[in-house]
Amino acid sequence: MCVVCHLFTNLKWFSQNLDIVDMTSSNHLDIKYQWDPSRDGDSAILTPTASVRIKRDLLEIFKDPPPGIYVVGDESDIRYVHAIIVGVMDTPYEGGFFYFLLKCPADYPILPPKVKFMTTDAGRVRFNPNLYKNGKVCLSILGTWTGPAWSPAQQISTVLLSIQSLMNEKPYYNEPGYDRERTPGDAKRYNEYLRHETLRVAVCGMLENECHLSIPPQLVEMMESTFLQFFDLYTETCRDNLRSDGEFYIDPFGGNTGCNFEYTKILERLETIRSNLQKKQNIPVSLPFTDGEGSDEKDV
Amino acid sequence: MKVTIKKWTGVATWKWVANDDNCGICRMAFDGCCPDCKLPGDDCPLVWGQCSHCFHMHCIVKWLQSQPVNQQCPMCRQEWKFNNK
Ligand SMILES: [Zn+2]
Ligand SMILES: [Zn+2]
Ligand SMILES: [Zn+2]
Repeated sequence: MCVVCHLFTNLKWFSQNLDIVDMTSSNHLDIKYQWDPSRDGDSAILTPTASVRIKRDLLEIFKDPPPGIYVVGDESDIRYVHAIIVGVMDTPYEGGFFYFLLKCPADYPILPPKVKFMTTDAGRVRFNPNLYKNGKVCLSILGTWTGPAWSPAQQISTVLLSIQSLMNEKPYYNEPGYDRERTPGDAKRYNEYLRHETLRVAVCGMLENECHLSIPPQLVEMMESTFLQFFDLYTETCRDNLRSDGEFYIDPFGGNTGCNFEYTKILERLETIRSNLQKKQNIPVSLPFTDGEGSDEKDV
Repeated sequence: MKVTIKKWTGVATWKWVANDDNCGICRMAFDGCCPDCKLPGDDCPLVWGQCSHCFHMHCIVKWLQSQPVNQQCPMCRQEWKFNNK
């Protein structure tokens, strides 16, 4: 694929995403497409095309990783793909870890994958007008939103890039009918809420894994090293916002019914996570019997 | 004033053909067959649309069958018509 051509496909995605954002219909609250991985009894066998395509999709992401997007194929079931989108800088999501579980249908890529958003504080936080607290992802290419539908020319990376583009600087305006603020300052206040919830749920909550998600170890490692890299940014954001502690906030889109800003508490959690990670890294790797085949299970 | 065109140089317009040698649906190279077939050859023919996009016949037929109305090319979303030429 040539460079120009690649650019062009990107443009195409963006124009599709603009369509999504510009949409003004408000009839997207149907839950009929909502997918619950824990109750998924579907065990249809993949067509050969589907399993080849899933591997290709993943390989393409490994070869040329889109910034801020990390994927791992499931070890035991090729139909599942685990993905983490790291919140883009200068958005309220910056530095947060947003975990998605994808499942490709038996006749992928004729049909799109199913996607569930997992970083919701156990169903309490709606991180975006298009990312519901029950994990539903509203995206036209997934068939859960009006606009350009899925086409088999799309792939796992385009799905994740589309989600990433929803997590933008002013997500308030993603909501149909909210192309203008209901009350002046709403978009900014929504961002302040999201910034707090990103640090509380998508940084601290994800690193502590307080919701007991089964995140693959490769992604956990990525989160840990990214966390240490971003640590100063996290704490700076907390210190800049300490004065809003104790204030009450209501999500205009029906997430948490009410939350208090608690940056002091988040700061403490961040420090604890960091010191635990540093302890973990400083523990000298024990090499019991380094000669021989190096199996440390041998000396039972 | 009269202008006579003595020489005319056409400038090629660039067209988006996503992948010249891969099927846009299964992403396998065109010199092989689609993954649902076992051996390359006449059993897995290539077909072109009027939009000039090319696919394995098996791949595009599966896609078209899944779209009862509004059959579009997966690459350019134009209405799909087989190019029978
Ligand atoms: Zn094909
Ligand atoms: Zn075939
Ligand atoms: Zn076409």
